Amino acid sequence: MNLPRSLGRAAIAATLLLAIGACGDAATPAASGKKAGKIKIALSNSFIGNQWRVEMENVYKAACAMPPYVDQVECSVFNAGNDVSTQSRQISNLISQGVDAIVINAASTSGLNGVVQQACDRGIVVVSFDNIVDNKCGLTVNTDQIKFGQQLAQFIVDELNGQGNVIMVTGVAGTGADNDRNKGAKDVFAANPGIKVVSTYTGMWDSATAQRATSAQLPNLPEIHGVWVSGGTDGVIKAFVAAKRPMPVVGGEAENGFRKFMAGLLTPKVNGMSIGQPPFLSVISLELARAVVKGEHPKESITIPFPVATSDNMVPGETVFPDLPDSFFADFTDSGPNATVILCQEAATDGTPCPGKTLDVNLGTP
Amino acid sequence: MREALRRVSIGYLVLAATAVAYLVVYTSRLGRFPTSFDYLSILNTTLPLVFVAIGQSLVVLTGGIDLSVGGMVSVCVAVTATTVSSSVFWLVVVLALGTACGALNGLIVAYGRIAPILTTLATLSIFTGLALRVMPVPGGSIPQEVRLVLTNPATPTGLIWLGLAVVGWLVLRRTRFGMRVYAIGSDEASARAVGVPAAAVKLKVYALSGLCSALAAVFYVSTTTSGDANAGNPFILTSIASVVVGGVAFAGGRGSALGAVAGAVALTLVIDILFFSGIDPLYQSLFQGLFLVVAVLLGTVAALAARRRRQA
Repeated sequence: MNLPRSLGRAAIAATLLLAIGACGDAATPAASGKKAGKIKIALSNSFIGNQWRVEMENVYKAACAMPPYVDQVECSVFNAGNDVSTQSRQISNLISQGVDAIVINAASTSGLNGVVQQACDRGIVVVSFDNIVDNKCGLTVNTDQIKFGQQLAQFIVDELNGQGNVIMVTGVAGTGADNDRNKGAKDVFAANPGIKVVSTYTGMWDSATAQRATSAQLPNLPEIHGVWVSGGTDGVIKAFVAAKRPMPVVGGEAENGFRKFMAGLLTPKVNGMSIGQPPFLSVISLELARAVVKGEHPKESITIPFPVATSDNMVPGETVFPDLPDSFFADFTDSGPNATVILCQEAATDGTPCPGKTLDVNLGTP
Repeated sequence: MREALRRVSIGYLVLAATAVAYLVVYTSRLGRFPTSFDYLSILNTTLPLVFVAIGQSLVVLTGGIDLSVGGMVSVCVAVTATTVSSSVFWLVVVLALGTACGALNGLIVAYGRIAPILTTLATLSIFTGLALRVMPVPGGSIPQEVRLVLTNPATPTGLIWLGLAVVGWLVLRRTRFGMRVYAIGSDEASARAVGVPAAAVKLKVYALSGLCSALAAVFYVSTTTSGDANAGNPFILTSIASVVVGGVAFAGGRGSALGAVAGAVALTLVIDILFFSGIDPLYQSLFQGLFLVVAVLLGTVAALAARRRRQA
């Protein structure tokens, strides 16, 4: 038996872990600067592995650093690596910490029901967005995903005058959003007998994957007149370009690359409609959580309209961003007079506050 | 016995270290000790991983690996969440289903002589596909009574099940079957030579892993109160990580399922440690990875030291 050695190893392990803990403490002075009267709102995000999530977190951080949030709210952000048990641990810990509200983008729409119930039982306001939590005790901020599918499909049907071959590039199977979007689109296509859906495959909501999958499918497909894409739109278009196929009508997400094609900044100019799940859902959720905690808004879920753009209304700096990469989601800010929220480019790219601006979030009329 | 104690000790040491670190970080951040709420939620969220890790450790002890645990958990979660609310009898069906999935792996590995990593990679896709077929959208439910018995959010009923799992393993390893598992993992050719029915034992081991995945699925649905066809995916890596942190040798034949249980709890605690230490979220997975590397290195160093002593 080598007890001394074992103890030595234990000591090393313990010191290392404690050291990790200590470094972490030193690295977050913001979290310890508590002020009386500030409400605590935490963002629990499932994973940060794609551009959309990065923008979503960036605009949240930017909003937290802008008035009125900078004076009223103490924000924190946690990522769970798309693991339900990790996210559920984090939410338990937030409950222990005694936060006032938790804003959630869930790793699973159903997987957090148990822990969210525990939060609700303790009077914590829970607001989920994008990938929402089923549990009815929490509030939700979301867009209508069925409508997303319908609206893009209807656009394609209208542009083709109800005749033509269409392909559908779907998202990540097993998620609510993917299911709803596909359902909305299929309903519209089924109602138009002249439209033939010749192929349906997944692009995993990822431009590179969508491009690979499309390149693999194209040689076996007849002429395509319309493309419906749940995500990864610029990848699909690039696959058509690479295969030297005639460019179809495209209904897709809000990737900046897709918008560049729509605006004619990349060739060929694409006739399309671009609807995005806006990254600023996190900011709307922050506002709803704040307003509910402060008693300024009733405890009600809200559905916000999609920011929609077509090839006719491409405005550089508003709906398309020539100096940002293709993979960037161009709908990090709403536009127009009835905009839900207006954010600047640096908020989405770096999470820095928009200079000299007070954030005004329009929750709509309850 | 001493030998056995020393082999598994690394898993317990890592667990002890993480537990101490958790207490320190928690109290320094919140200014009080963890409450029963914290302990209970740790217990209930760890249980599924504990079961998968036990199953995985059995397979790894024979020198194999089971990547299909993710698929088996997913399909069992899907079936549990869609059926159990109509009749509790379905729980039996779920356990049988998990065992059957595992047995399929066992048949291919033991009798088809196909490498475990290939077999289970293929069946992983099959089981995940089945799960999506059963449950295309997250949802489903579980009766409140089942929840109160399995993972009661107010009293630690989970401890009973954890205890049963530990006792189950302690009994199992003393049976002839348990010894044969170690024999095959240590040296399969010699084991066969002395008359160990290696194929039959392997079949049972994979079937047991399937049963463990089914149990994990039931506890998963019980804690989360509903199901998701992608629920199992994270368990592939975390169960392997638990086994490794728990000091089970990847070559087989050395280690214990209890080490894997300790590893599973330690992995859960690491999440909490990172949380309360307030590390920038972008670096959380980095530190989780670092923890794994450090734990595995410790295990390897311990194994090397042990071998050197034996040779000396």
